[in-house]
Amino acid sequence: MSEDKVSDARDAGDRLVASHPSEDPFAAAFKATRMPMLITDPRQDDNPIIFSNRAFTELTGYSQQELIGRNCRILQGPATDKAAIAMIRDAVQHQHDVAVDILNYRKDGSTFWNALFVSPVRDRDGTVIYFFASQLDFTNIKSKQAELAKARHEAEQEVARRTAELSDALSVKTELVHEVDHRVKNNLLTIASIIKLQMRMTADHTVERTLKSVLDRVEALSTVQRKLLNDERLGHFDVADFGHDLVTDIVGSLKRPDIVLTTDLRPVTVSASKASPLALIINELLGDAVRRGLSDGGGEIHLEIRRLNGHFLIRVVDTVTPVEGDNEQSAFSQAMLDASLRQLRATIERSIQGHRTEVSVTLPVED
Amino acid sequence: MLLALELESEVEASGHQVIGVASDFAEAVKLVDDAMPEFAFVDIQLRDGPTGIDIGRHLASKGIPFIFVSGNLKRIPHDFVGAVGAIEKPYTVNGLQNALSYVHELLAGAGSPVPPPSLIVLNTTAPAEHESGAERNSVAAG
Repeated sequence: MSEDKVSDARDAGDRLVASHPSEDPFAAAFKATRMPMLITDPRQDDNPIIFSNRAFTELTGYSQQELIGRNCRILQGPATDKAAIAMIRDAVQHQHDVAVDILNYRKDGSTFWNALFVSPVRDRDGTVIYFFASQLDFTNIKSKQAELAKARHEAEQEVARRTAELSDALSVKTELVHEVDHRVKNNLLTIASIIKLQMRMTADHTVERTLKSVLDRVEALSTVQRKLLNDERLGHFDVADFGHDLVTDIVGSLKRPDIVLTTDLRPVTVSASKASPLALIINELLGDAVRRGLSDGGGEIHLEIRRLNGHFLIRVVDTVTPVEGDNEQSAFSQAMLDASLRQLRATIERSIQGHRTEVSVTLPVED
Repeated sequence: MLLALELESEVEASGHQVIGVASDFAEAVKLVDDAMPEFAFVDIQLRDGPTGIDIGRHLASKGIPFIFVSGNLKRIPHDFVGAVGAIEKPYTVNGLQNALSYVHELLAGAGSPVPPPSLIVLNTTAPAEHESGAERNSVAAG
């Protein structure tokens, strides 16, 4: 910068001050205010600073001597937003006000966020003779905003990461449950196959009948396992759904057109831990009716599963022509039934009227 | 193999002739192409992976009716790839018998039988058109 230019700018500043008496309250205020301010002269080449106050020096580190004759771009640096600079340039060129937030650089190279306001000063003819600029350092506010944004961003990332972890863990767990379920199913079918194989190999009718009796109970448990994971409500067991499948399969396989099957089944869901004893109870009740004559002479059978007064009711009613039973089988069935009833703390009521047998099992329902 | 063996004897016990058992995709396709069974049971998980689905497609392309046998019905594509239905493992003696009776009636064209609970069918599809006459030959894959 030429010495002439600096001297021109200083002269303009002097003239400005000289035009006001030294006791001019406006000049005194300009010098003393805590708000950084400066004045430029657009009629000189490159619109140099002709005046700046003490607050401006405190803010930027430049002395007044260093500033006079320089353009305000001295405050810009590599990270200053080009769009903000363009806004200021446009306002100066078209001679209107502008308020813009801009990143500025101090003499020592440090940065601050500047809420800059620039406005043209006109003479009586309307000619722009000065530009007045005031600065406000809002770095604190800006950095708090940035901190908040950063913290929010980090929190969001953390949430996303944790969500991904949890969903991975869940899918691993689900896979594991299905794998175990699959193995249990295969094992149950293998157990059934072993029993069936031995049944086919034996010539002894009693052995065959005994194995059939074991197979029948294993298969009841197989049906439970099949029902356990069928819906998304893992760990729950719909007793009525099980009862429906069991009674339909038993009656269907008897292949007797003279059996009348009726049902009254309402959805009753219990926890999976109760599934097996419940299934065995229903299986024994139905099996008992089959042994007492349903498979021989047909008849009527009714299965009812529903809630009753806060309890849960399983009711089997059959009308059959009684046949001579197998005492050993009946005793075994009774023992199975008793054990399952005790496990569930269920009560049983049996009433027989002629050929009609009615058995009701009542048990508490957990809620 | 124990499961396939038992299935074979149960199918035979209900009056059908089993022409063979295959344990992977290649064996199954060869068996199907050589012997042209009238019906097939297809397990989904075989020795070479879950190839049962593709065996099902092969059977469907030949017009051979079949049912899937699986421990996980969710593995079966929604359109059942042309299967009459699916039996979920572990099936029971009664369940299998009832499913066999249903298939028998269906393929014999004896009206529209009601599928037993043990046989999952694609909801409300008309029975596949089929020449009447009891099927005598079956193939089990598993």
